[in-house]
Formats: sequence, structure tokens, C-alpha cells
Amino acid sequence: MIKNRFLTISLAIVLVLSILAGCTGSGGSSKDSASNGEVEIKVWLTPQWKGVLDASEDGADYDSFFKHAAKRFSEEYKDHKVKVTVEVVAGDQRDELLNVNLNGGTPPDVFFESVFAMGDYAHRGALVPLNDIVDDEAKKDIAQSHWDNVTFGDDIYFYPFSQNPGTLTYNADMFKAAGLEKYIGGEEEIKTWTLTEYEEILNALKANLPKDKYSNAYPMGLYALNNQGDTWNLAYLRMFGNQFFDNEGNLIINDENGVKAANWLKKIYDDGLTNPGAESVSSNDVNAMFQNQQLAVSFTNAILFNNAKADMESGKAPKFDIRLANIPSASGDPLTFTYVTGATVFDTKDETRIKVSKDFVKFISTDPELVKASKNGVPVRTSVAKEFSAEKPFFAAYSANDQYMFNFTGNVPGYSQLRQVLYPELQALYTGSKTAKEVVESYQTKGNEVIESSKADSVIYK
Amino acid sequence: MKIIKQSYKENLTGYLFIAPQILLFLIFLVYPIIEGVRLSLFKISYQDEVFVGFDNYRRLFSDPVFIQSTINTVIFVVFIVALTVGFAIFVSAAIFDKNAKYVSFIRGAYYIPVMVSMVVMSMIWSFLLNPANGLIPFIAREMEIVSVNFLGDTKWVLPVIIFVTFATNVGQAIILYIASMIGVPKELLEAAEVDGASKIKVVFKIIIPMVKPTTIYIIIMNIIAVLKIFVVIQLLTGGGPNNASTTLMYYLYNNAFKYNQLGIASAVGVIMFLITLALSIPQLRAMFKEN
Repeated sequence: MIKNRFLTISLAIVLVLSILAGCTGSGGSSKDSASNGEVEIKVWLTPQWKGVLDASEDGADYDSFFKHAAKRFSEEYKDHKVKVTVEVVAGDQRDELLNVNLNGGTPPDVFFESVFAMGDYAHRGALVPLNDIVDDEAKKDIAQSHWDNVTFGDDIYFYPFSQNPGTLTYNADMFKAAGLEKYIGGEEEIKTWTLTEYEEILNALKANLPKDKYSNAYPMGLYALNNQGDTWNLAYLRMFGNQFFDNEGNLIINDENGVKAANWLKKIYDDGLTNPGAESVSSNDVNAMFQNQQLAVSFTNAILFNNAKADMESGKAPKFDIRLANIPSASGDPLTFTYVTGATVFDTKDETRIKVSKDFVKFISTDPELVKASKNGVPVRTSVAKEFSAEKPFFAAYSANDQYMFNFTGNVPGYSQLRQVLYPELQALYTGSKTAKEVVESYQTKGNEVIESSKADSVIYK
Repeated sequence: MKIIKQSYKENLTGYLFIAPQILLFLIFLVYPIIEGVRLSLFKISYQDEVFVGFDNYRRLFSDPVFIQSTINTVIFVVFIVALTVGFAIFVSAAIFDKNAKYVSFIRGAYYIPVMVSMVVMSMIWSFLLNPANGLIPFIAREMEIVSVNFLGDTKWVLPVIIFVTFATNVGQAIILYIASMIGVPKELLEAAEVDGASKIKVVFKIIIPMVKPTTIYIIIMNIIAVLKIFVVIQLLTGGGPNNASTTLMYYLYNNAFKYNQLGIASAVGVIMFLITLALSIPQLRAMFKEN
């Protein structure tokens, strides 16, 4: 009797487990979708710009451009009948969604996103190189610095489409109210201040900003709740000349200049030159505070800046004189970085889908009409930037900044995890539980551990 | 032999009846547990899986953030469960024998936060406590009271999370206790009244012992729920400042979905499973013994 029961239960368990094993086993196997005639590819993107070419179009949304491009591609593509499905995913859900889908064997075919956020997937062997779809004409039209940004090891993994340079933004009305007229730049200028001037500005804002007009307002936005917007924190840590990565891609923040930069951040925080509670304030909070005129200086990028202006025009946010400035440094040269955005192709193990996906990426990145959409950020193509230079005067200002550009990721493996190491250290700095020296030391040690273990797993370093 | 066969046939009918449930149990509970244990012994990348034995566990125990997460989780479990049980007994014992409408009102008032999504609750608390533009720090600044950063101070962040979670969950325990206390035989309470026992004596000598099964149930359920505490951490503190409020579940989530360290995340899952099992077995045994 007991034996029979045992047998029945055992058989049931074996049966269920073998069914499950059968279900999961097929995930990784390669398959070819060409046999059924129609090739279906999935295109994912995080919110970038609305509309095909412009947000003023009827029904403009984040997927408008890709839906339009997909329709044209399906009509014009000769090799296969193609169906392209487009899906917009939230930026802060990107890694969660991708990791779940990669582990389940169902990655998207194409992903359009900022390159810095996706580099890890190249190191993990989840992306396919795009060298074969990049021609000499494109190489000439797009600056080498952008190609460097999308090259991991020897291969190109992203087709650069547009860029989104990061700067500071300031409320010129608040500057005027604090008697800082001489530091205000032109409306279409990215103003460069020296570090001494910047400190003067922050101190003057703290002392002279009229409390009745700007109650509960602070000179500068500072945040360290999570990894969002951490590129500006990385830039601040370079203020005194630290180069961040050595030639082997290891962190070298723990030196005199790194400590000076961390001390500077702690000092402006302690002196009340920033919003309080930076350790538990997010970049979103800071952005909202700036739009509500509770901060005089904040972080921004080209897209955020345009959105802020649009919000003011539409009455969603209070209207004020908003302008751009560079992140200052001790040397006097501005610190600038850019988010290159572009499309990448995932290794779905399906040769046909990979081929069609590559052709789709080439189509959106080279078609003369479609590449015009890059004007919504800053075009990476010189030809497009030239075409819209009269309409978009900031393009020239961003272009002048190119010479000061630094590659904030260093294209190192494990960058996503490296980002998770920085903000707890900054929190420790602001709460006073660690000194500036301890913070850079600890960040370097933990960061290099992440880089080392990611290098061991990286297909590019193998 | 014939009898045994017949009895087996009868049992087989029973097995067939429970087969759908068993099948779902095996697929959605047993299989993930087995797979979790298996994954915890592998290093997993997009390209391949490499067997690493107990390496993931060794890495975990040498990671100070994991140790901090474990300590924080234990603190949350102890304080939230103790507060929930203590407060729920206090409120329920005070009102269960009052007017039915009054009992309903109190029950409803405490139960409303349970019905509200934890996400919404966390966002409201974030709005109240945000040090830069939150309501409480703003009022403190306006009144020129020394403002404390409740979410950014390592001394305050744990008590704040304990309070927020407790305030959101206590309604469930109150509902269960009131129902259980209403079920206490009236004769016992009347006899105590005749004997001139004080309310405190009635609570401690009659009510609390009589609702012991409910207490055990609430303790087990709350321990399991608090071990999995995640949303409030994700939305309110992000595990900060400097990992001071990271919990095991948050650590697991980060490893599984942000860093793609599935082996490490599975090892955390296995450890959490063992902790829950270890905590639940003695309590369940006590409950069954009583019955």
C-alpha cells in the first residue's frame, strides 16, 4: 500500500517535472522564422521624443516615429514580408524587463535607448555587432567621438542616431533677483563660469534671494537617493581634474583630486548652498523643484530642457527665464558629456530575425527623411545638424562643447552595477557617516571589484 | 490483498479529486523552489550556466550589504510583528464588547489603509517626508523647529519604515482579533464579572489565552509578510541612506533584476525560504499541539 502510494506520487512528480523541463528546455534553442513567410520583429524603446519628426504633430506620441518607420520598412523591404511591433517601455523598468526577457529567451529584436544604459548587454554577449551595416558615408557624417561611444572592444554595437548633451540649467529671473546679472549668459548660449565664480553665485543666491518672492528656495539642486541622474554627480567628482578611469578601465577616483571634489560637494551641502536632504532626494524631485522655482541651478539635458520650456509654454509649469550653463571645473574648462542614443540588435539566435533587425536599424539610422527626427535631441549627423542650425540655435553651442566632452562610462563592463555603488557612498558623504577620503576610497574599491568580476564575465574581454 | 487493492482504488478517486490542486502546487510552488535551489549553485550569464557549488553563498556571507540587509529584516520582523500584535490586541480588547455600530466604525477606520495599495501609501508618505519639498519638513522649517531628515538619517529611517508598515497593516490584525474575541464564550466573561475581575485581568487571563490560535496565525502571517517587505523600501528610501534600510527582499530584487546576478539572487531566496521555514515550524507545531 505504502509502496503503491509512493510509486504514484513519484510518478506524478517525475511527470510534472519532465513536462516543465520540456517547457523550459526549448527556450535557448535556435530557430529560423523565415519558414512561415512572414518575419515578425519586436522593437522596444524608452520614451525619447514625441511625434514622427515633431511633437506638434496630431496624435504625437513616443512610438509615432517607430510606427511610421516600421510601416515604411514593411512596404519597402524586399527580402521578406515583415511585421514590426513597437513597444515603449519605462526607462526605470528597462533593466528589469530586459533581464526577465533575456533569461526567458524572449529578448526584443531591436532596442532604441541611450548607449550608456545598454553597454552591459554588449559585454554580456546579448547584442550582435553592427559593423556590417555601417558604411564609410555614415562614418564621415558622424563624429569619431560618437563612434567611440558605441564601440565595445573592436565592434560597433549601436548605430548612433542623436545625442543628448548634459549641462546645468539656471533660472535667470532668480539670478537677477539676487543681483547676479553679470553672470547671466545669452538666451542661446551655454554659459561657462569658473569654479570660483560658481561658488560666488551659489553664495549670493543663498544670501540675496528675496524670501518673499522665492520662499523655500535653494541655490543648487543636489541628489543621491538612487542612480537616476548620477552622470551629473560623476561630473562633479571630476571637477578638480580626476580622470575617473585608467587605460585598463579601472576606477582611479581615489586621489587628491577625487577627495577634493568629494569635499567640495560636502562643503556646499553643509553650507546650505543646495537643497536639504540630498541623500534622500531624487533627480526627479530636484527637477520638479527647479520647475517650481525652488532651485536656482539644476541639472538638465537637451531633451529635459526642451520639455521644461514646453511645459512653461503650455502652462503646466510656472513660466520663468530658463537658460543653460556648463558644469564648471577648477581648471576653468567646462565639463561636458553626452548621452548618445541609438538602436541596437539583440542576439535572438534567429539568423533571419537578426538580419531583418539589422536592416531595420540601418533603415531608421540612414534614411534621409527619418534621420531628421534626430533634431528632437541634438543630431549626431553633421549634415542634419547643419540643415537645422538656423531653426535650432543651440546646436552650435552644443557643438562648441564637443572638445570638452568626457566619456563618463569608460565603456567598462558592469557599468549598471557600478552605478549602484556610487549613490550609497554619496549618501554616506552627505549624512556624515564617512569622510570624503573614505568615500572615494570605498567607491574605488567596491567599483573596481564590480568591474573586475564583470570583466571576467565579459565576452568582449575574453 | 484484494482489500488493499480495493482501498487503493478508493484512494485513487480521492487522489484524482485533488490532482488539479496538487498539479498546480507542484508547478507553481515545488518546481520554483527546486529550480531556485538549483540556480543558487550556478553562475548564470546570457551565454551559459556554470556550476559553482556554494560560491554564491560564500560571496553573500562576505558581502556587508547582505549582512546589513539580514539584520534590517530581522529588526523589521521583530518590531513590526510585536507592534502589530500588541496594538491590535489593545484596540480589539477595548472595543469588541461595545455597541455593534461603534465596533464597525473602528474596524472600518483601521481597515481602510489595508485596502489602499502599498504603492499609494508609500507615495503619500514620501510626499509628507521628502526633506526638500515634503510637507512635514516644510512645516518644521516654517515653525523654525530643527528639521530631521526622516528618510535620510540612519537613526530614523528604520523606525519610520516600521511605523509606515505597521500603520498600513494593523487593520487586518484588528479585524481578526475582534472576530475572535466576539467568539469568546460569554459565560466566561460573565463569570469573571461576577467574581469582580478587573478589565485588565479579564484581558490577560481570559481573552488573550482564548484568542491564542488567532495570535499564532497573525504572527506567522506577519512574519512571512514582513520578511518580504519591498515596496515601501523601493519607493520611500531605495534602501538608503548608504544601505541602512536595505532588506533581504530588496537585495534579492537588485541582484535578480538590476545586476542580473541570478545565482546570487537565488541563494538569497533559498536563505529566506529556510528562515521562513525555521520560524514557521515551531509555531505551526504549537498550534497543532494545542488543537
